[in-house]
Amino acid sequence: MYTLIAQITQDELAREALRLQHDYEFLTYGLIAAWVVLAAYVLMMIGRQKKLKREIEGLRAMVDEKQGR
Amino acid sequence: MRDKIVYLLGIVAAAILAWNTWAISQLPEETAQGVTFKIIFFHVPMWAGAGLTVTLALLASILFLITKNFAFDALAVATTEVGVAFLTAGLVTGSIWGRQIWGIWWAWDARLTSALLCWILYAGYLMLRHAIEEPTQRATFAAVFNIFAFLDVPIVFFSIKWWRTQHPQPVFWNQGSFPPDWTRHFMWNMLAMTLLGVVLTVVRFRQEEVQREIDAVRRTAHAF
Repeated sequence: MYTLIAQITQDELAREALRLQHDYEFLTYGLIAAWVVLAAYVLMMIGRQKKLKREIEGLRAMVDEKQGR
Repeated sequence: MRDKIVYLLGIVAAAILAWNTWAISQLPEETAQGVTFKIIFFHVPMWAGAGLTVTLALLASILFLITKNFAFDALAVATTEVGVAFLTAGLVTGSIWGRQIWGIWWAWDARLTSALLCWILYAGYLMLRHAIEEPTQRATFAAVFNIFAFLDVPIVFFSIKWWRTQHPQPVFWNQGSFPPDWTRHFMWNMLAMTLLGVVLTVVRFRQEEVQREIDAVRRTAHAF
């Protein structure tokens, strides 16, 4: 086993470390992209909810105004 | 009470996803693809979520055309919109995986092209709805378009069987294999994405119904 380890050169170790780093980098990009898309959609939904709330309040004010006349 | 259940389901989905992301990070590397392979734990459940939502949208569209009940139209919009969010996430995660494994961001093979076409069709459905003012006409045209758009879904699903594609062959059927403990984590993500899809659809469905009521009240108010 030690003979095998001794056969691994510094270059090979560096290449393996670089490959791992690159792999983790892309896995992270993948996860971030997935969460960003879903989070953006949830934020869009919250924005729409607020808009609907404003519209309802506007309509209530309009109805109150008409009843006041 | 109903709101509380919906938000509770959302919290459960987020908790499963957070825990499972950590658990997946602890799994060993895949022999050929290294850790990049783990994107599959998110990529496939997102496509499954998209498949489920657009199938529901198809059923809702057919039911709207039969019954003319606007609740089905609201369900079709809600499921399609959530489906488009899942499709977007699925396309983006797939592209990132492809860049690392194939060395390219995109390939015009049958699976990827039909998947992009699927995204364009459903995004087109959402745009079409904004273009038509009259509610009945809008709902009818949209339902017909939704049924037409669904024709692409089986093509996306079976493209890897029907044609030789750059996209990998299925891992779960057609002699594919997945270690049992990996399957467990994969299934947790499938459950979490399904729950998330349900929560988002219910919230979007209610928004659509409230919007329709607001439009109706506004039309009545303007009529007098």
